[in-house]
Amino acid sequence: MQNNFFYYLCSILTTLFMKRIGLLYMVLLLVFSLSGCKGKREEQTQKAFDTIPMLVNEIQKCSRLYTVEYKIHKIITHDDRKTIKGSLFNKAFSLDIPMSKRMVAIPMDATIKGYIDFYSFSSKNVKRTGNKIEITLPDPRITMTATKIDHNHVKQFVNFMRSDFTDAELSDFERQGRAQIIHDISQTDILENARLGAAKVLIPLLRQAGYNEKDITISFRNNLQSGDIPTLIDKTNEHGK
Amino acid sequence: MESNKRRSFLRSIINKLSLKGALMLGSVLLLLVVVSLILRWIDKSNSLYIEENKRIDLTPTLIKSIEEIGEWEFLQLTDEELVDTIKHGFFGDSRLVRIYYGTLRLGFNLHEAGPGWLKQDKDTLRLMLPPIRLLDKDFIDEARTKAFYESGSWTEADKQALYDRAYKLMMQRCVTTANIQTARRNACLQMESMMRSMGFGAVKATFAQPER
Repeated sequence: MQNNFFYYLCSILTTLFMKRIGLLYMVLLLVFSLSGCKGKREEQTQKAFDTIPMLVNEIQKCSRLYTVEYKIHKIITHDDRKTIKGSLFNKAFSLDIPMSKRMVAIPMDATIKGYIDFYSFSSKNVKRTGNKIEITLPDPRITMTATKIDHNHVKQFVNFMRSDFTDAELSDFERQGRAQIIHDISQTDILENARLGAAKVLIPLLRQAGYNEKDITISFRNNLQSGDIPTLIDKTNEHGK
Repeated sequence: MESNKRRSFLRSIINKLSLKGALMLGSVLLLLVVVSLILRWIDKSNSLYIEENKRIDLTPTLIKSIEEIGEWEFLQLTDEELVDTIKHGFFGDSRLVRIYYGTLRLGFNLHEAGPGWLKQDKDTLRLMLPPIRLLDKDFIDEARTKAFYESGSWTEADKQALYDRAYKLMMQRCVTTANIQTARRNACLQMESMMRSMGFGAVKATFAQPER
Protein backbone atom coordinates (compact mmCIF):
# COMPACT_ATOMS: atom_id res chain seq x y z
CA MET A 1 0.00 0.00 0.00
CA GLN A 2 2.80 2.42 1.01
CA ASN A 3 4.79 1.46 -2.05
CA ASN A 4 1.81 2.33 -4.21
CA PHE A 5 1.47 5.71 -2.51
CA PHE A 6 5.13 6.58 -3.09
CA TYR A 7 4.85 5.45 -6.66
CA TYR A 8 1.90 7.81 -7.28
CA LEU A 9 3.60 10.69 -5.46
CA CYS A 10 6.78 10.29 -7.46
CA SER A 11 4.88 10.10 -10.71
CA ILE A 12 2.87 13.29 -9.89
CA LEU A 13 6.02 15.20 -8.92
CA THR A 14 7.76 14.08 -12.08
CA THR A 15 4.81 15.21 -14.18
CA LEU A 16 4.74 18.60 -12.46
CA PHE A 17 8.43 19.12 -13.00
CA MET A 18 8.08 18.03 -16.60
CA LYS A 19 5.50 20.78 -17.07
CA ARG A 20 7.68 23.27 -15.16
CA ILE A 21 4.87 23.90 -12.71
CA GLY A 22 6.92 22.38 -9.92
CA LEU A 23 9.59 24.97 -10.55
CA LEU A 24 7.01 27.73 -10.15
CA TYR A 25 5.82 26.25 -6.85
CA MET A 26 9.40 26.05 -5.63
CA VAL A 27 9.98 29.73 -6.47
CA LEU A 28 6.75 30.75 -4.73
CA LEU A 29 7.72 28.71 -1.65
CA LEU A 30 11.12 30.39 -1.56
CA VAL A 31 9.59 33.88 -1.85
CA PHE A 32 7.06 33.10 0.87
CA SER A 33 9.73 31.78 3.25
CA LEU A 34 11.93 34.82 2.58
CA SER A 35 9.08 37.22 3.28
CA GLY A 36 8.41 35.33 6.50
CA CYS A 37 12.04 35.80 7.57
CA LYS A 38 11.81 39.52 6.83
CA GLY A 39 8.65 39.80 8.88
CA LYS A 40 10.39 38.20 11.85
CA ARG A 41 13.32 40.59 11.67
CA GLU A 42 11.24 43.79 11.35
CA GLU A 43 8.81 45.01 13.92
CA GLN A 44 5.22 45.51 12.79
CA THR A 45 4.66 49.16 12.05
CA GLN A 46 1.35 51.02 12.24
CA LYS A 47 2.70 54.35 11.03
CA ALA A 48 0.56 55.71 8.21
CA PHE A 49 1.61 58.19 5.55
CA ASP A 50 -0.15 59.79 2.64
CA THR A 51 0.74 59.90 -1.03
CA ILE A 52 -0.75 60.89 -4.40
CA PRO A 53 -2.29 64.29 -3.88
CA MET A 54 -4.56 65.26 -6.76
CA LEU A 55 -6.70 68.25 -7.45
CA VAL A 56 -9.43 69.27 -9.80
CA ASN A 57 -11.03 72.57 -8.94
CA GLU A 58 -13.47 74.97 -10.43
CA ILE A 59 -13.58 78.69 -9.80
CA GLN A 60 -16.82 80.54 -10.25
CA LYS A 61 -17.49 84.24 -9.81
CA CYS A 62 -20.85 84.90 -8.22
CA SER A 63 -22.89 87.28 -6.12
CA ARG A 64 -24.98 85.44 -3.58
CA LEU A 65 -26.46 86.77 -0.40
CA TYR A 66 -26.81 83.97 2.18
CA THR A 67 -29.52 85.02 4.59
CA VAL A 68 -30.33 81.98 6.70
CA GLU A 69 -28.39 79.01 8.02
CA TYR A 70 -29.84 75.74 9.31
CA LYS A 71 -27.68 73.33 11.29
CA ILE A 72 -29.04 69.82 10.91
CA HIS A 73 -28.25 66.67 12.86
CA LYS A 74 -29.12 63.16 11.82
CA ILE A 75 -28.19 59.70 12.97
CA ILE A 76 -28.05 57.36 10.00
CA THR A 77 -28.84 53.80 10.99
CA HIS A 78 -28.63 50.61 9.01
CA ASP A 79 -29.83 47.20 10.13
CA ASP A 80 -28.51 44.42 7.97
CA ARG A 81 -29.53 40.80 8.38
CA LYS A 82 -29.25 38.15 5.69
CA THR A 83 -32.54 36.47 4.90
CA ILE A 84 -33.26 33.41 2.83
CA LYS A 85 -36.30 34.16 0.75
CA GLY A 86 -38.10 32.14 -1.81
CA SER A 87 -41.22 30.21 -2.65
CA LEU A 88 -42.04 26.54 -2.42
CA PHE A 89 -45.00 25.30 -4.45
CA ASN A 90 -46.20 28.87 -4.88
CA LYS A 91 -45.99 29.55 -1.14
CA ALA A 92 -43.58 32.38 -0.21
CA PHE A 93 -41.32 32.01 2.79
CA SER A 94 -38.69 34.10 4.53
CA LEU A 95 -36.10 32.85 6.99
CA ASP A 96 -33.54 34.97 8.86
CA ILE A 97 -30.09 33.41 8.80
CA PRO A 98 -28.93 33.11 12.41
CA MET A 99 -25.84 35.08 13.47
CA SER A 100 -25.93 37.22 10.33
CA LYS A 101 -26.83 40.54 11.93
CA ARG A 102 -24.85 43.71 11.34
CA MET A 103 -25.79 47.20 12.55
CA VAL A 104 -24.26 50.62 12.19
CA ALA A 105 -25.16 54.09 13.46
CA ILE A 106 -23.49 57.12 11.87
CA PRO A 107 -24.08 60.56 13.43
CA MET A 108 -23.95 63.29 10.82
CA ASP A 109 -24.16 67.09 10.88
CA ALA A 110 -25.14 69.17 7.89
CA THR A 111 -25.24 72.89 7.13
CA ILE A 112 -27.95 74.17 4.82
CA LYS A 113 -28.19 77.77 3.73
CA GLY A 114 -30.80 79.82 1.96
CA TYR A 115 -29.59 82.52 -0.42
CA ILE A 116 -30.63 85.05 -3.04
CA ASP A 117 -28.67 85.04 -6.28
CA PHE A 118 -27.85 88.62 -7.26
CA TYR A 119 -25.73 87.67 -10.26
CA SER A 120 -28.54 88.43 -12.71
CA PHE A 121 -29.97 91.30 -10.65
CA SER A 122 -30.61 94.37 -12.83
CA SER A 123 -32.68 97.54 -13.08
CA LYS A 124 -35.56 95.31 -14.24
CA ASN A 125 -35.88 94.17 -10.61
CA VAL A 126 -36.25 97.75 -9.35
CA LYS A 127 -39.20 100.10 -9.59
CA ARG A 128 -38.82 103.70 -8.40
CA THR A 129 -41.67 106.13 -8.04
CA GLY A 130 -40.71 109.42 -6.43
CA ASN A 131 -39.14 108.66 -3.07
CA LYS A 132 -40.43 105.10 -3.06
CA ILE A 133 -38.45 102.06 -4.15
CA GLU A 134 -39.77 98.57 -4.78
CA ILE A 135 -37.33 95.70 -5.28
CA THR A 136 -38.50 92.36 -6.61
CA LEU A 137 -35.95 89.74 -5.68
CA PRO A 138 -35.30 86.47 -7.48
CA ASP A 139 -36.57 83.28 -5.82
CA PRO A 140 -34.49 82.23 -2.85
CA ARG A 141 -32.46 79.07 -3.32
CA ILE A 142 -31.27 76.43 -0.91
CA THR A 143 -27.90 74.73 -0.82
CA MET A 144 -26.19 72.18 1.38
CA THR A 145 -22.83 73.79 2.10
CA ALA A 146 -21.24 71.10 4.25
CA THR A 147 -21.73 67.70 5.87
CA LYS A 148 -19.58 66.22 8.61
CA ILE A 149 -19.47 62.70 9.98
CA ASP A 150 -18.91 62.45 13.73
CA HIS A 151 -16.27 59.72 13.47
CA ASN A 152 -15.78 59.55 17.25
CA HIS A 153 -19.34 58.36 17.78
CA VAL A 154 -19.85 55.95 14.89
CA LYS A 155 -21.01 52.61 16.34
CA GLN A 156 -20.82 49.27 14.58
CA PHE A 157 -22.13 45.91 15.77
CA VAL A 158 -21.05 43.05 13.54
CA ASN A 159 -21.69 39.38 14.25
CA PHE A 160 -18.55 37.28 14.19
CA MET A 161 -19.96 35.32 11.24
CA ARG A 162 -20.13 38.48 9.10
CA SER A 163 -17.45 40.66 7.58
CA ASP A 164 -17.02 44.28 8.75
CA PHE A 165 -18.72 47.10 6.89
CA THR A 166 -16.49 48.25 4.06
CA ASP A 167 -15.66 51.89 3.43
CA ALA A 168 -17.73 51.72 0.23
CA GLU A 169 -20.79 50.45 2.13
CA LEU A 170 -20.48 53.14 4.82
CA SER A 171 -20.02 55.86 2.18
CA ASP A 172 -23.16 54.64 0.45
CA PHE A 173 -25.15 54.89 3.71
CA GLU A 174 -23.81 58.41 4.26
CA ARG A 175 -24.90 59.41 0.76
CA GLN A 176 -28.37 58.00 1.45
CA GLY A 177 -28.52 59.98 4.71
CA ARG A 178 -27.53 63.14 2.85
CA ALA A 179 -30.33 62.55 0.34
CA GLN A 180 -32.82 62.07 3.22
CA ILE A 181 -31.79 65.44 4.72
CA ILE A 182 -32.29 67.18 1.36
CA HIS A 183 -35.69 65.54 1.08
CA ASP A 184 -36.68 66.54 4.64
CA ILE A 185 -35.56 70.17 4.26
CA SER A 186 -38.50 70.81 1.96
CA GLN A 187 -40.77 70.31 4.98
CA THR A 188 -39.19 73.20 6.89
CA ASP A 189 -39.79 76.94 6.63
CA ILE A 190 -36.30 77.65 5.26
CA LEU A 191 -37.64 79.33 2.13
CA GLU A 192 -39.75 81.79 4.10
CA ASN A 193 -36.87 82.48 6.49
CA ALA A 194 -34.52 83.08 3.54
CA ARG A 195 -36.93 85.68 2.15
CA LEU A 196 -37.33 87.37 5.54
CA GLY A 197 -33.55 87.36 6.00
CA ALA A 198 -33.05 89.01 2.63
CA ALA A 199 -35.44 91.81 3.57
CA LYS A 200 -33.66 92.24 6.92
CA VAL A 201 -30.35 92.72 5.11
CA LEU A 202 -31.55 94.96 2.28
CA ILE A 203 -33.82 97.34 4.21
CA PRO A 204 -31.01 98.66 6.50
CA LEU A 205 -28.77 98.89 3.42
CA LEU A 206 -31.27 101.06 1.56
CA ARG A 207 -31.97 103.09 4.70
CA GLN A 208 -28.29 103.94 4.94
CA ALA A 209 -28.37 104.90 1.28
CA GLY A 210 -30.95 107.57 2.06
CA TYR A 211 -34.38 105.93 1.78
CA ASN A 212 -37.02 106.06 4.50
CA GLU A 213 -38.02 102.64 5.80
CA LYS A 214 -41.68 103.23 4.93
CA ASP A 215 -40.73 103.92 1.30
CA ILE A 216 -38.92 100.59 0.85
CA THR A 217 -40.76 97.51 -0.44
CA ILE A 218 -39.01 94.18 -0.89
CA SER A 219 -41.13 91.66 -2.73
CA PHE A 220 -40.79 88.17 -4.13
CA ARG A 221 -42.65 86.05 -6.63
CA ASN A 222 -46.12 85.60 -5.11
CA ASN A 223 -47.02 82.22 -6.49
CA LEU A 224 -44.08 80.48 -4.83
CA GLN A 225 -45.37 77.34 -3.14
CA SER A 226 -43.74 74.96 -0.68
CA GLY A 227 -43.95 72.37 -3.44
CA ASP A 228 -41.45 74.45 -5.39
CA ILE A 229 -38.73 73.84 -2.80
CA PRO A 230 -37.28 70.73 -4.47
CA THR A 231 -36.67 72.78 -7.62
CA LEU A 232 -34.96 75.50 -5.59
CA ILE A 233 -32.41 73.18 -3.95
CA ASP A 234 -29.00 73.31 -5.60
CA LYS A 235 -28.04 70.03 -7.19
CA THR A 236 -24.49 68.87 -6.64
CA ASN A 237 -22.70 66.97 -9.35
CA GLU A 238 -22.18 63.45 -8.13
CA HIS A 239 -18.82 62.63 -9.59
CA GLY A 240 -18.66 59.40 -11.52
CA LYS A 241 -22.45 59.11 -11.59
CA MET B 1 -34.01 4.40 -53.47
CA GLU B 2 -32.93 5.71 -50.03
CA SER B 3 -36.51 6.54 -48.95
CA ASN B 4 -37.72 3.06 -49.92
CA LYS B 5 -35.03 1.55 -47.73
CA ARG B 6 -35.98 3.75 -44.74
CA ARG B 7 -39.70 2.92 -45.11
CA SER B 8 -39.04 -0.79 -45.23
CA PHE B 9 -36.84 -0.47 -42.09
CA LEU B 10 -39.61 1.31 -40.13
CA ARG B 11 -42.20 -1.18 -41.37
CA SER B 12 -40.04 -4.07 -40.18
CA ILE B 13 -39.79 -2.50 -36.66
CA ILE B 14 -43.57 -1.93 -36.45
CA ASN B 15 -44.21 -5.46 -37.58
CA LYS B 16 -41.88 -6.78 -34.91
CA LEU B 17 -43.64 -4.80 -32.12
CA SER B 18 -46.39 -6.69 -30.37
CA LEU B 19 -49.43 -4.90 -28.85
CA LYS B 20 -47.87 -5.23 -25.43
CA GLY B 21 -44.66 -3.58 -26.62
CA ALA B 22 -46.55 -0.75 -28.25
CA LEU B 23 -48.46 -0.11 -25.03
CA MET B 24 -45.20 -0.12 -23.08
CA LEU B 25 -43.63 2.38 -25.45
CA GLY B 26 -46.71 4.61 -25.30
CA SER B 27 -46.81 4.57 -21.50
CA VAL B 28 -43.08 5.43 -21.30
CA LEU B 29 -43.61 8.39 -23.64
CA LEU B 30 -46.64 9.51 -21.60
CA LEU B 31 -44.59 9.25 -18.37
CA LEU B 32 -41.83 11.36 -19.90
CA VAL B 33 -44.31 14.07 -20.88
CA VAL B 34 -45.90 14.05 -17.37
CA VAL B 35 -42.50 14.20 -15.62
CA SER B 36 -41.33 17.09 -17.81
CA LEU B 37 -44.56 19.01 -17.09
CA ILE B 38 -44.17 18.45 -13.33
CA LEU B 39 -40.54 19.60 -13.44
CA ARG B 40 -41.53 22.71 -15.33
CA TRP B 41 -44.25 23.51 -12.76
CA ILE B 42 -41.81 22.97 -9.86
CA ASP B 43 -39.28 25.27 -11.52
CA LYS B 44 -41.91 27.98 -11.91
CA SER B 45 -43.43 27.74 -8.43
CA ASN B 46 -40.19 27.38 -6.47
CA SER B 47 -37.39 29.85 -5.99
CA LEU B 48 -34.61 30.43 -3.46
CA TYR B 49 -32.33 33.46 -2.93
CA ILE B 50 -30.50 35.32 -0.17
CA GLU B 51 -31.65 38.88 0.44
CA GLU B 52 -29.44 41.59 1.94
CA ASN B 53 -30.70 45.01 3.01
CA LYS B 54 -28.75 47.85 1.35
CA ARG B 55 -31.01 50.74 2.41
CA ILE B 56 -30.70 52.88 5.52
CA ASP B 57 -33.54 53.15 8.04
CA LEU B 58 -35.85 56.15 8.12
CA THR B 59 -34.66 58.30 11.03
CA PRO B 60 -35.68 61.81 12.09
CA THR B 61 -33.81 64.83 10.79
CA LEU B 62 -33.31 67.30 13.64
CA ILE B 63 -32.79 71.04 13.27
CA LYS B 64 -30.11 72.00 15.80
CA SER B 65 -30.18 75.74 15.10
CA ILE B 66 -31.58 78.40 12.79
CA GLU B 67 -29.53 81.55 12.36
CA GLU B 68 -30.05 84.70 10.34
CA ILE B 69 -26.88 85.53 8.48
CA GLY B 70 -25.74 88.16 6.02
CA GLU B 71 -22.94 86.50 4.10
CA TRP B 72 -22.23 87.81 0.63
CA GLU B 73 -20.35 85.35 -1.56
CA PHE B 74 -18.29 86.53 -4.53
CA LEU B 75 -16.05 83.59 -5.38
CA GLN B 76 -16.87 79.91 -5.17
CA LEU B 77 -14.16 77.29 -5.41
CA THR B 78 -15.19 73.70 -5.94
CA ASP B 79 -12.44 71.31 -5.01
CA GLU B 80 -11.85 67.57 -4.84
CA GLU B 81 -8.93 65.88 -3.18
CA LEU B 82 -7.71 62.33 -3.56
CA VAL B 83 -6.13 61.35 -0.26
CA ASP B 84 -4.68 57.98 0.63
CA THR B 85 -2.93 56.31 3.49
CA ILE B 86 -0.85 53.14 3.83
CA LYS B 87 -0.28 50.93 6.85
CA HIS B 88 2.61 48.46 6.72
CA GLY B 89 1.84 45.19 8.42
CA PHE B 90 3.26 41.72 8.91
CA PHE B 91 0.96 40.09 6.33
CA GLY B 92 1.18 42.89 3.80
CA ASP B 93 0.28 46.54 3.38
CA SER B 94 -3.18 47.99 3.97
CA ARG B 95 -4.31 50.90 1.87
CA LEU B 96 -7.23 53.32 2.01
CA VAL B 97 -7.96 55.82 -0.76
CA ARG B 98 -10.83 58.32 -0.53
CA ILE B 99 -11.95 61.28 -2.64
CA TYR B 100 -13.27 64.27 -0.71
CA TYR B 101 -15.45 67.01 -2.21
CA GLY B 102 -15.64 70.54 -0.91
CA THR B 103 -16.85 74.00 -1.88
CA LEU B 104 -15.02 76.99 -0.45
CA ARG B 105 -16.87 80.28 -0.48
CA LEU B 106 -15.06 83.60 -0.38
CA GLY B 107 -16.92 86.77 0.47
CA PHE B 108 -17.73 89.11 3.32
CA ASN B 109 -20.07 89.08 6.26
CA LEU B 110 -22.31 92.15 6.39
CA HIS B 111 -22.45 91.81 10.18
CA GLU B 112 -18.76 92.74 10.18
CA ALA B 113 -19.37 95.98 8.30
CA GLY B 114 -18.43 99.04 10.33
CA PRO B 115 -20.82 101.89 11.13
CA GLY B 116 -21.35 104.15 8.16
CA TRP B 117 -19.96 101.59 5.72
CA LEU B 118 -22.45 102.88 3.17
CA LYS B 119 -22.86 106.64 2.83
CA GLN B 120 -23.75 109.32 0.34
CA ASP B 121 -20.80 111.60 -0.34
CA LYS B 122 -22.08 114.47 -2.49
CA ASP B 123 -23.28 112.77 -5.70
CA THR B 124 -21.39 109.52 -5.07
CA LEU B 125 -22.54 106.57 -2.99
CA ARG B 126 -19.49 105.19 -1.18
CA LEU B 127 -19.33 101.62 0.15
CA MET B 128 -16.60 100.58 2.58
CA LEU B 129 -16.78 96.79 2.38
CA PRO B 130 -15.74 94.42 5.19
CA PRO B 131 -12.72 92.17 4.53
CA ILE B 132 -12.98 89.18 2.24
CA ARG B 133 -12.60 85.88 4.04
CA LEU B 134 -13.64 82.26 3.95
CA LEU B 135 -17.35 82.45 4.76
CA ASP B 136 -17.72 79.03 6.37
CA LYS B 137 -15.03 76.93 8.00
CA ASP B 138 -17.06 73.79 7.30
CA PHE B 139 -16.80 73.35 3.56
CA ILE B 140 -16.26 69.64 2.98
CA ASP B 141 -19.31 67.64 1.97
CA GLU B 142 -18.12 64.50 3.73
CA ALA B 143 -21.30 62.55 3.02
CA ARG B 144 -20.39 62.74 -0.68
CA THR B 145 -16.97 61.23 -0.09
CA LYS B 146 -16.12 58.49 -2.53
CA ALA B 147 -14.54 55.34 -1.15
CA PHE B 148 -12.10 54.69 -3.96
CA TYR B 149 -10.02 51.78 -2.66
CA GLU B 150 -9.75 49.85 0.58
CA SER B 151 -7.60 46.94 1.64
CA GLY B 152 -7.12 45.83 5.22
CA SER B 153 -9.08 47.16 8.18
CA TRP B 154 -9.40 50.84 9.03
CA THR B 155 -10.76 52.67 12.03
CA GLU B 156 -12.89 55.79 12.22
CA ALA B 157 -9.83 57.61 13.63
CA ASP B 158 -7.97 56.83 10.38
CA LYS B 159 -10.85 58.32 8.37
CA GLN B 160 -10.86 61.43 10.57
CA ALA B 161 -7.12 61.80 9.89
CA LEU B 162 -7.78 61.59 6.14
CA TYR B 163 -10.54 64.20 6.46
CA ASP B 164 -8.18 66.55 8.31
CA ARG B 165 -5.57 66.09 5.60
CA ALA B 166 -8.07 66.78 2.81
CA TYR B 167 -9.21 69.90 4.73
CA LYS B 168 -5.68 71.27 4.92
CA LEU B 169 -5.05 70.54 1.23
CA MET B 170 -8.22 72.35 0.18
CA MET B 171 -7.36 75.34 2.34
CA GLN B 172 -3.85 75.52 0.89
CA ARG B 173 -5.04 75.28 -2.68
CA CYS B 174 -8.08 77.53 -2.55
CA VAL B 175 -7.61 80.22 0.09
CA THR B 176 -4.76 81.92 -1.72
CA THR B 177 -3.89 85.60 -2.07
CA ALA B 178 -4.73 85.45 -5.78
CA ASN B 179 -8.20 84.05 -5.10
CA ILE B 180 -8.88 86.58 -2.35
CA GLN B 181 -7.91 89.39 -4.74
CA THR B 182 -10.21 87.96 -7.42
CA ALA B 183 -13.03 87.88 -4.87
CA ARG B 184 -12.29 91.49 -3.83
CA ARG B 185 -12.40 92.72 -7.42
CA ASN B 186 -15.63 90.82 -8.10
CA ALA B 187 -17.15 92.13 -4.84
CA CYS B 188 -16.50 95.75 -5.89
CA LEU B 189 -17.92 95.12 -9.37
CA GLN B 190 -21.03 93.32 -8.12
CA MET B 191 -21.85 95.77 -5.33
CA GLU B 192 -21.40 98.79 -7.62
CA SER B 193 -23.54 97.13 -10.30
CA MET B 194 -26.28 96.25 -7.81
CA MET B 195 -26.43 99.76 -6.35
CA ARG B 196 -26.48 101.30 -9.83
CA SER B 197 -29.40 98.97 -10.71
CA MET B 198 -31.18 100.44 -7.68
CA GLY B 199 -30.93 103.89 -9.21
CA PHE B 200 -27.76 105.33 -7.68
CA GLY B 201 -25.78 107.05 -10.43
CA ALA B 202 -22.22 107.17 -9.13
CA VAL B 203 -21.17 104.32 -6.85
CA LYS B 204 -17.69 103.60 -5.50
CA ALA B 205 -16.99 100.40 -3.54
CA THR B 206 -13.68 99.95 -1.72
CA PHE B 207 -12.28 97.84 1.07
CA ALA B 208 -11.15 99.18 4.41
CA GLN B 209 -8.03 97.03 4.19
CA PRO B 210 -5.79 97.73 1.16
CA GLU B 211 -5.16 95.00 -1.41
CA ARG B 212 -2.06 92.93 -0.56
